[in-house]
Amino acid sequence: MRRLPVYLLIDTSGSMRGEAIHAVNNGLQTMMASLRQDPHALDSVHMSLITFDKNVNLIFGLTELSSVQLPQITTPESGPTFLGEAIKLLIAQVDKEVSISTSEAKGDWMPLLFIMTDGKPSDLQVFEEQYPKLKQKNFGSIVACAAGPKAKEEYLKLFADHVVTLDTTDANAFQQFFKWVSASVSVGNQSVGASDEMVLPPPPPEVNLVI
Amino acid sequence: MGMVSSTSVGGKRLEWEETFFAQGGMKDVHWGKNKNYVVAFYRDDQDANSKERIKNIVETYRERIFNLEGGEYWKGLLVWPYDMIEYQGKLGIVCPVYGSEFFFKYGSVNNDMLGIKGNEKEGKWFASASNQNRFLDNREKGNWRSYFRIGILLSRAVKRLHSAGLAHSDLSYKNVLIDPEGGHACIIDNDSLVVPGKYPPDVVGTPDFIAPEVMATKSLKVGDANKALPSMNTDKHALAILIYMYLFYRHPLRGGKVHDMDPQIDEELSMGEKALFVEHPTDHSNRPNLNDVKKSSLPWADVEAIPYTAAGPYLKVLFDRAFISDLHNPMGRPIANEWEIALVKTLDLMQPCMNNSCAQKWFVFDNTTSPKCPFCNTPYTQKLPILNLYSSKMEGQFLPDNHRIMVYHNQYLYKWHVDRSVFPNERLSAADKKPVGYFVLHHNEWLFINQTLSSLKSVEDDKMIDIGASINLKEGVKLLFSDKPTARLAVVQIVNS
Repeated sequence: MRRLPVYLLIDTSGSMRGEAIHAVNNGLQTMMASLRQDPHALDSVHMSLITFDKNVNLIFGLTELSSVQLPQITTPESGPTFLGEAIKLLIAQVDKEVSISTSEAKGDWMPLLFIMTDGKPSDLQVFEEQYPKLKQKNFGSIVACAAGPKAKEEYLKLFADHVVTLDTTDANAFQQFFKWVSASVSVGNQSVGASDEMVLPPPPPEVNLVI
Repeated sequence: MGMVSSTSVGGKRLEWEETFFAQGGMKDVHWGKNKNYVVAFYRDDQDANSKERIKNIVETYRERIFNLEGGEYWKGLLVWPYDMIEYQGKLGIVCPVYGSEFFFKYGSVNNDMLGIKGNEKEGKWFASASNQNRFLDNREKGNWRSYFRIGILLSRAVKRLHSAGLAHSDLSYKNVLIDPEGGHACIIDNDSLVVPGKYPPDVVGTPDFIAPEVMATKSLKVGDANKALPSMNTDKHALAILIYMYLFYRHPLRGGKVHDMDPQIDEELSMGEKALFVEHPTDHSNRPNLNDVKKSSLPWADVEAIPYTAAGPYLKVLFDRAFISDLHNPMGRPIANEWEIALVKTLDLMQPCMNNSCAQKWFVFDNTTSPKCPFCNTPYTQKLPILNLYSSKMEGQFLPDNHRIMVYHNQYLYKWHVDRSVFPNERLSAADKKPVGYFVLHHNEWLFINQTLSSLKSVEDDKMIDIGASINLKEGVKLLFSDKPTARLAVVQIVNS
């Protein structure tokens, strides 16, 4: 059976400290709880979580939904946002974990990627070098979320299929965002429109979609 | 929670929660006042055609199905929108809430570790071997016989829609709620119906259930004459898939064959143009690759261990048509009524497993002389009487009905077994629901006890069997159930004698 790999990249740089990181933790919990109540997702979704600040941390590699143990995510006091390094690790993980079809056996579905950041990449050189490689990977969809007023959409638009913006980084905004992520992951289960488009459900009102 | 209120098209005052509690592919669903109804708003604007179509469903067809004699019966099987509303430019429909049997009472294992207690019993929970094996609380699962009953109810509901000229167009386990424990099923989302003479709705169906011809022409533009859209014929495909998945917890077309390296293209080919039954008798190329399936989906994922023939001869014929000979021939697919009849007849082939801890509890007798349960492999060791049914279209001449009854202890016999003019469907009268007799194993002899048959005769010795009396079931015994021309004749056979 094909697995649906879902990668989450979450910004944990210093600026996320405080309410924002609490909101992200809560949002992740809610998202996991809601996906575990989806019989379709339980059958196919495998999830991986990577955080990035001055370090890049693989919190867990692709894991079946029912086995995922979500740790509390923390942020350092302050420091840069190594988005480029995070993408580099992501690419390595995808190469390692996602199985590709052969003529003998079916591989996984094309992975989904959700990236959330409240700033801009501090490691611009690595970022410039990595994001074109990311685009070459066969992702089913890449959704980036620019959270709060300091987030820079222009970097995200370079590689994402969809960029959503959150005006604030409070609990409600993140809650809505993760709810939407879980709905997007579940979408394979739903009726398909006759016009063969529309993959993502519409974002909640708190999120602004920038194509 | 903020409430919003407005007046429906039908002139009723409605009040609903501002925030939706669920989202479907097309609609956001809000609780109505006191959770007595739901209001589902289409996210996309509905054009005049679509509004007209929905209006037809809510008014004309609802009245036709529910307001006629016997209409009450369908309320349990078809959750139907009964009003419409336009609010802030969005079109919504008003639907009744489902019965409490369609919400999980126990949910998942380990004290409901998934937190699904109280959630809707969406069909997918039950149609997946791994969800069944790993997550569902045993008290939610029912037994194998329950899934035959569910298949009967779904077939009956689809039959009703089709006889009204309506196609559901989006049958899937998402749009079907089932309660195996109590033996209930209902079809929801009846607003995407294809109404004759109106433009079809904007859905092609749900993955897993989209008919091959629709999948194969999915990328053609709406309006292209070659684009196949949902219809009664595609419903027939979806119904066959539902029945198969509820009996075998696997998909009949999802096997090991790789058609393309790109998973999306592969999906479209394997569900569309190149669709091939995983249990095709001669083309084995789509057999599931057992190295590739989840351990938790065994033994169901193994088509050799539990082949579709385990559902018995009447269903085998229909599965052969649905997935082999007519998979790509929409007109030839079995209609809902054929599924209903075959499933009802198959119940008579079922035997309780002799292993008390067998999870499936029941199996279909395999017509061999050494029957065993295909799930736990426990052999059936008792003497097993079989009644072969015959009926007469011409006086004195009885022809086989292709209908057998496997007898088990405390099994009842009903009017529809003894009289060919009666069939157990939605029109069955209350009087005909009462048993006419029963079978018992008494001092190692199998007896049939006559409860209500006033002219039951043992043909061989030309002896009447009075009400309250019994007859010993021995090889070759012939029972004529009444003196009416529609009466059936049963010839007894004994296995393991």
